[in-house]
Amino acid sequence: MAKKKRTAKAPAPEVKREPVKLSSIDKSTLKKLEGLADKVVSAANRGRDPFLDIPTRALSNVKFNKSKRFIEMGSNTNRRELFNLNQARSYMQTLLVGSGCVGLIDEGKTTSIRGLYYRMKHTIEGVKEETFNNQGESDAVIEDLEVLANALREELHLYADKRGEMVGPLVLEDMGDEIDCSRMGSGGYGIPSIVEPDRIRFKRCTADFILHVEKGTVWQRFNEDKFWKKHNCLLTHGAGQPPRGVRRLLHRMHNELELPVYCVLDNDPWGYYIYSVIKQGSINLAFESQRMTSPDAKFLGLRSIDLERCGLDMNVTIKMNDTDRKRAKQIKKYPWFEGKKRWQKEIDKMLENYFKLEVESLINLGISYVTETYVPERLSAGDWLD
Amino acid sequence: MAAGESSTQTRRSTAEAMAKGQRDISVSEFFAKNKHLLGFDNPRKSLLTTVKEAVDNSLDACEEAGILPVIWVQLEPTQAGRYRVSIQDNGPGIVKKQIPLIFGKLLYGSKFHRLRMSRGQQGIGISAAGMNGMLTSGQPVKIVSKVSVRKPAHYFELQIDTKKNQPEIINGRGDGVDIPAGEKGRQYIEKAGIAWETEIPFEDGTREDVAHGTRVTIELAAIYKKGRGSVDEYIEQTAIANPHVTVHYRDPEGNTRSYWRSTLQLPAEAKEIKPHPYGVELGRLMAMMSEDKVNTVAQFLRTSFSCVTPAVARRICEAANISPRVTTKKIGRGEADKLFHAMQEAKIRPPATDCVVPIGQDLLLKGISTVVPGEFYAASTRPPAVYRGNPFVIEVALAYGGGPQTQAISKDDLNELIGQTDARTLRKFLMDTFNGVGSDGADKIMKEAGLKTRKSPSNLSTKERVSLHEALQNVSISEGQTMNVMRFANRVPLQFQAGACAISQAVMGMNWRSYGLTQSRGNLPNGPVSVMVHVASVWVPFTSESKEAVANYPEIEKELRLALQFVGRKLGIFLRRRQRVKQEGERRSVFLRYLGEVSQAVHGMNGADAKSVYDKLLEVAKKKTADADVRLDDRGRAIRDDDDLDFGEGVLIVDPAAKTPSTGAIGATNGSAKPATATMQGELFDE
Repeated sequence: MAKKKRTAKAPAPEVKREPVKLSSIDKSTLKKLEGLADKVVSAANRGRDPFLDIPTRALSNVKFNKSKRFIEMGSNTNRRELFNLNQARSYMQTLLVGSGCVGLIDEGKTTSIRGLYYRMKHTIEGVKEETFNNQGESDAVIEDLEVLANALREELHLYADKRGEMVGPLVLEDMGDEIDCSRMGSGGYGIPSIVEPDRIRFKRCTADFILHVEKGTVWQRFNEDKFWKKHNCLLTHGAGQPPRGVRRLLHRMHNELELPVYCVLDNDPWGYYIYSVIKQGSINLAFESQRMTSPDAKFLGLRSIDLERCGLDMNVTIKMNDTDRKRAKQIKKYPWFEGKKRWQKEIDKMLENYFKLEVESLINLGISYVTETYVPERLSAGDWLD
Repeated sequence: MAAGESSTQTRRSTAEAMAKGQRDISVSEFFAKNKHLLGFDNPRKSLLTTVKEAVDNSLDACEEAGILPVIWVQLEPTQAGRYRVSIQDNGPGIVKKQIPLIFGKLLYGSKFHRLRMSRGQQGIGISAAGMNGMLTSGQPVKIVSKVSVRKPAHYFELQIDTKKNQPEIINGRGDGVDIPAGEKGRQYIEKAGIAWETEIPFEDGTREDVAHGTRVTIELAAIYKKGRGSVDEYIEQTAIANPHVTVHYRDPEGNTRSYWRSTLQLPAEAKEIKPHPYGVELGRLMAMMSEDKVNTVAQFLRTSFSCVTPAVARRICEAANISPRVTTKKIGRGEADKLFHAMQEAKIRPPATDCVVPIGQDLLLKGISTVVPGEFYAASTRPPAVYRGNPFVIEVALAYGGGPQTQAISKDDLNELIGQTDARTLRKFLMDTFNGVGSDGADKIMKEAGLKTRKSPSNLSTKERVSLHEALQNVSISEGQTMNVMRFANRVPLQFQAGACAISQAVMGMNWRSYGLTQSRGNLPNGPVSVMVHVASVWVPFTSESKEAVANYPEIEKELRLALQFVGRKLGIFLRRRQRVKQEGERRSVFLRYLGEVSQAVHGMNGADAKSVYDKLLEVAKKKTADADVRLDDRGRAIRDDDDLDFGEGVLIVDPAAKTPSTGAIGATNGSAKPATATMQGELFDE
């Protein structure tokens, strides 16, 4: 039934589809997706089980490339079969997302990953089961499809939620509009999810460096104190773990505008990992590291020694819990941290401290201590972790 | 200091003065004060115990006489909180002289002094029931007994003089009344208002006159309630363990229900045996010797014990360093002690075990399958074993599947149950009333019905009752359902003190997980399973006089474990097979479900023809799940392709597909009574 319905629906947009002009990237993406479908057809014709070999996205399948200084994906794959009770559903979902993306490219439109979830969500014919129960299911499948088709999310015409802001002496062009990032008021320029050169072009930049802070509240402090004006820098934040758009933008500014990146993050394992992701890429998206990382990024703070160094009071600390300690030990063992003595010392010190420090804790010493004293001191002293 | 003070205090009484208050306590006085020892703890249990003692005696009498038992059990409410309990049998009857003694004197009977497998053991039960009735209602015990067609029946109204432990006959000027035989007697019975069933009905509708039998009527203060530990449950379980018995039961509301016998074969007669030397205690040995007096020690050993040959007797005497020629009179305390130890250490063959009569695998299967609805039955009868010189046999039967009790209940029955309960919360009510409803199941039902957990069953509105009834029908509690354990000792159901009983402990101690059931550690397993366990022995070791729990001897525990493992293995085979078939079926349906989506997606991606892709994938799917195909053809649930399914003996499988029409129809109309005989049986696997 569903089949009939969908074929009946199809002709309507077909009329509009004609004028869409496919870019060369779109064409190659379509080709990759078609390849996936062709494999199913050929397997079916030969009476074999169709399957998909999806590169594994886990620590076991990533390598730290020392010369390139970022994380690369290994060659391990996970086989996903249609005729396997545990995988049949996700196999179906993978192909469904694939066809959804083909539809998007054909129509020349982009949608959020949530939009795609709604686009592909329907009840399977004859049973009460739905194709996707929640967005989590489709999000995971989308990431699978990215690695599977070796196509980026942007190339699949998908974008994630926009998160993170930027302010500073930079003029850029976003979909034809010229935007002066030094005239953004208190809100800042919201960094879009897709920041590819065909959408965003840098026009003029006079900044000397980029200061990336962990979250919006801290960023607000720096913006209100006009830190970026005083120090002539770009100020960004990624609302916690930075989304792809922010990382991609940092990467582009780092490479194209040749700006050094400094990070001011919380002194906890999660802060360390944010730095690690910006610097050498994430495990989950290792296949994208090449276009996401800023290998020269520096870690300004907060440091485990800051309690003594800044004369902070003990009651602004947060006690570490078991998950924190476990995560810290994990991070300490990552190959890209393992060879760095100063980092080992830093993490050891934190474990020994048995507490975490948030950037906001510096406000205890004065509202603008962090912008007027802490960061300037670190910068002028060249005191950071690499 | 304290000692000094007390010594100067004046004595309150003297030994002489105290002696005046010291006197004999008669057995009846003792038990009148300690009724709980005999199972008369509370009004509800009193009712059950009364029925139980009378039925046990009736069955024992019938079997001893070699008569296929027919029992009438009738409960009538007389006034608030009082019931009249009448039990009649078609047994051999009792001679006139013995009637008052059997029913009116505690610890009087034939069963105590012999070692023989029987339901009653002490000769305390029925007279204690009568005494309890007399104490709580003031009414005498009424007995009618008839020995043969031609002879007159005897009618007695008895009271027990608790001080003397003696019967007092009230009617006929202390001599009882004789009812003449034949038509005259029938008229007399009618005139005097004596209750007596005159005809035995048969299942095919024909009738036969009652030629002999005994009827006992006891009125007592009691409470009648259905559910766990009820008279209804007792009768149902008795029918399971006694497939040769027909029971006609009338409950206080006047509903009658007949449990027809499923076999015409009486259990083999139990033989009486002498005690085995291993099972005797020192005191008993000395008592036996002082009774004996005349024989030599060797003769005494040979004649008073089983399994003692002259050679064995000689060896015992040698070990005890006593001449075999010494007469028992001359044996002193010290020598008796030596003799006792020698007996314990001597190598003596175990007692003959033919004195224990098990129900047998076939009859167990028949019994459980007629009363417990299910799909799979397995039974096992262990070979006889011995504990402390007493032979015993363990039997286990298991039933799996079938609709749970909650779904079989009608709206009226539910209302009635709610009216009867004294549970404070609805949750407790559900758990107490329905077998197999645990706390999880109860919670599920309450949630479905939209009722609060702490709701009291007494103030449910009509609407809430309706929703509760619907919830009972709809909620599948098979996962939350716990195993229903039915315990029997010498064919008598044990309904109380499950926790203290070796049987329950053995069931809980087993690892049922390896047989395909779920079970949390140290608990009963979950699932729609009923297990009946029967301990048959010449002397069942109970933990107390009220005969509610079997004591745990290591030998008994071991046999219990082996028997349970046997049926467990069969269940495991059945469940695993079913699981596999189900999985294969599920596999196919899962694949089929997604094929349409997959082919449509492929069409969307490369424009291939969705229909042809679908057809081709379907072929692959069929090939992949060929296994399921074979078994699915057979009416959708094909467990019965028996070629490679070797259960061995003692297994009965009922095809639920064949059964549904009959039970379905009943469930739709009234759904009240479980069809006792409506189960259509599949094949009996028995070589």
